Amino acid sequence: MTFLVTAALAVGLLVLAPIVAHLLRRGRARIQDFPPAGLVPPKRSIARERSRLEDYLPLALRGLLVLCLALLGATPFVRCSRVSLSRQRGASVALAIVIDDSQSMRLRNERGVRWELALKAAHELFDSVREGDAVSIVLAGKPARIALSATMDLRAARHVLDELTASDRPTDLAAAVQLARSSLSGLAQRDRRVALFSDLAGEPPANGELPLWTPAPELALRADDCAVTSAEKHGARVEVNVACSSPAAARGRTLTISGQVAKATLVARAGTQTLELALDPKQKAEDVALDGADALALDDRAPIASASSSLGILVVEDTADSRVATGGPPPLDQALAALDADAALRSVALLPDQADDFAGLALALLDDPGGLTPEARSALTTFVERGGVAVAFLGPRAEHAPLGASFEPFAHGALRFRGDATSDAAPQSFAWLGPEGQSFSGLSPRGHVSLLAADLLGARTLATFSDGDPFLTERALGKGLIFTLALPTDPAQSDLVFRPGFVALLDHFLDEARQRRGAGKSVAGSEWTFDAASKVTIRGPRGPVDVSERALVNGSPRKFAVVDSAGRYALHIDDASEERVVTLDPEETLAEPHALVAGSAQAQIGAPRSETNVSPEFGMVALGLLGLELGLRAWRLARTRRITSVQEPRSRAS
Amino acid sequence: MKLARTAIDWGKLAPLRLHAQGVADGVYAGWHRSRRRGSGIEFGGHRAYVPGDDLRFIDRHALLRHGEPLVRQFETETDRTLCLLLDASASMSFRSERGIASKFAFAALLAAALAKVAVSGGDRVALSFIARNPSNELATSGGRQAFERVVGALESIEPSEDLHADRGALERAVVRIERRANRGANVVVFSDLLDLPDGALELLGGLAARGRNLCLVRVLDPTEIEFPFTGPVHLRALERPTQVETDGASARADYLAALAENERGLQQELLARGGRLLRASSGDDAIAIVRRILDALGGRPS
Repeated sequence: MTFLVTAALAVGLLVLAPIVAHLLRRGRARIQDFPPAGLVPPKRSIARERSRLEDYLPLALRGLLVLCLALLGATPFVRCSRVSLSRQRGASVALAIVIDDSQSMRLRNERGVRWELALKAAHELFDSVREGDAVSIVLAGKPARIALSATMDLRAARHVLDELTASDRPTDLAAAVQLARSSLSGLAQRDRRVALFSDLAGEPPANGELPLWTPAPELALRADDCAVTSAEKHGARVEVNVACSSPAAARGRTLTISGQVAKATLVARAGTQTLELALDPKQKAEDVALDGADALALDDRAPIASASSSLGILVVEDTADSRVATGGPPPLDQALAALDADAALRSVALLPDQADDFAGLALALLDDPGGLTPEARSALTTFVERGGVAVAFLGPRAEHAPLGASFEPFAHGALRFRGDATSDAAPQSFAWLGPEGQSFSGLSPRGHVSLLAADLLGARTLATFSDGDPFLTERALGKGLIFTLALPTDPAQSDLVFRPGFVALLDHFLDEARQRRGAGKSVAGSEWTFDAASKVTIRGPRGPVDVSERALVNGSPRKFAVVDSAGRYALHIDDASEERVVTLDPEETLAEPHALVAGSAQAQIGAPRSETNVSPEFGMVALGLLGLELGLRAWRLARTRRITSVQEPRSRAS
Repeated sequence: MKLARTAIDWGKLAPLRLHAQGVADGVYAGWHRSRRRGSGIEFGGHRAYVPGDDLRFIDRHALLRHGEPLVRQFETETDRTLCLLLDASASMSFRSERGIASKFAFAALLAAALAKVAVSGGDRVALSFIARNPSNELATSGGRQAFERVVGALESIEPSEDLHADRGALERAVVRIERRANRGANVVVFSDLLDLPDGALELLGGLAARGRNLCLVRVLDPTEIEFPFTGPVHLRALERPTQVETDGASARADYLAALAENERGLQQELLARGGRLLRASSGDDAIAIVRRILDALGGRPS
């Protein structure tokens, strides 16, 4: 607060002047010597009566007027607590509002629930938007998504803002900020801003062309919380994962199975801890719960999922070929384990030839297969048609398929490995993979399987080499998907497995597998897809879940649903019923919130000030008070005259 | 009770001697013709000499006989000794913004002017105070020096004592006057008649006995007469522990009525004993008041 503001506000103290003057006047009269005091009659009551406040209303009006004038004097400098948008020379603004709807935003810190604080601040900011401004709204819960594309229809934008709800999703702030920035590109407004309403837990967003503004820094205040992220039943015991943000949040808290006597006490430390509880087979066990209180009660209880709910992954590989010089498991196994720690990974050398062997599997990865026998083909096709995802990393062995073996359902006919091919991967064709797709630049493999000439059975190409040869293809088969890559994972052929894009690619396969097979256990924010299903109903912990349809390239619609709340879900797919459990991402509890540090984009933004000039409002109030006092005086004068005019004739008559 | 306020507030009346002389000059000097002469004066006995006594009356024979100075006293039927009695209580030290001086200073002016007039007429003057231990009293004396002694004595007194409960002080003062004032003497008492002890008026009224002329001059400050206060006031008496909180405007009428009632009672009491009561405001013209006193004493020549 500057000296001018202080000085202007100090004028407001004048409101006390008439009251102080009155109190001084009302005080005891000065004692005076007066010898004949004994002859003076005491009239104390009258003396007090005269010193009483006589006109409360005018005094109040004048006091308010003085206050208004003081504030009016200070208003050009007053920093209003409301978040508002300042403008450079009054020009229109393109504003992207990024609201973090991840689970960590549900927590209550010392100022309140983060989500409610964020919505309040976003509404305040939106109130300062005017006609001509463009607004887009992006949600930062994983996966980041655009809730509203940039629009100048402010009513629609307000409606979207009003409809936002919190979720249990993980955070995907970097992608959300990127989406927000891209949503403002191409707009006519020169002044573009990205307002971020997030606790900034986890990785800070990268700096970009458009600076970030965090108008609600109170969201980054700490909150002590423990969350039951998952609970899984293994025989006669339940394995529970608990994440705590601080030792204080975990201290003295006990984990119990609802309706049972088994208990386990948390260790008072920050981080994740796994506790085991013995099950009483005679009692029903549905949930585990933490006692005590913390910043969020919702995450203190979690449903118990069965062990088979983990995502089953089958890897068919020759460990001798896939081995890396530094030792350890094959890079494919390492990457999968890193992506999904809960996944049930099964590594085999030969593809099973019985359909039953695929039971419990969601994803089958075939590394440089040397052809598929008819039985294996049949079993794999059945697996995919039932909703599995199969991926083939084709390599040099593709040329040496034994008699009777083929690569169906990946490709029809013989395949040729072009060892002389010097073409590189075309990174731009991996744009759909995100920023990691650019990492395939300069891959320069020793050769690749030529899929251009192969019969891909109607598969569509997702990525290509620089010479136009398909790098990755995708084909829908029944309820499942088939991916074909023209490169193996063998480090001797290329450093494909060492590129960040490879992990992103595997993550994409895992997502597809989860969506199709509907892994019994998935993280909040996951999308469940239901290919070839005609009727799907889902009921979750917060009521029915909307099931939508998305048109695919081939024209057949695909049903899908997004589950953004943790808990137990009951699904009815056509005539079958199943149960799934949605868990929490422990990172949402463990990641420390933080503010954007000085020197980052926040400091370079030019600080769109959250100042509001309320001079007109205070001026109007002051004028109103003045008018009120004048009206009051006029009314009193008129009343006095009326009384006088009534009394005079009476006195004359008397 | 010894109050903090002791010195006389002379205001515009200092120096007293000159102002008193001015007032006396304004009054016709010689308000009776009784200048004491040798014949017709009867010897009335001896008394001890006190400073200020006329040296002509020291009896040298008695001095040789008794070894101490004695003065001869005479009695005459036309003794017009002027006995002045001033109230030196604390309430007389009051002076408001409207008064030209304190009440005691104004009373002293009147007393000194009367003394000047008396001395000029050949009469003798005695001075006494209503005080607990008066040390500046003057015995009956005449001549040119008498006026100077009166002025000196008036200037040296400090009206500071709370006498409302000290009836003895008043009694002693009255006894001294009675001793000095013979038949036909003029006794003038200056007091505000406030906060005096019970029975004070009876004592003072007794001075009118034995053929003495008593004039009681009530000296008040203009504020005490007009009560000009407005709004809430907190008034404190100077002698009694009396404090009054009141509203000036609404209490004025009641106060004035009470004052008038008080004076009416005093007047009746005094008239019944042969005395006269005059009111003097310290804001009034002193010459006019002196003339009124002389008129009241009945000795003023036409």
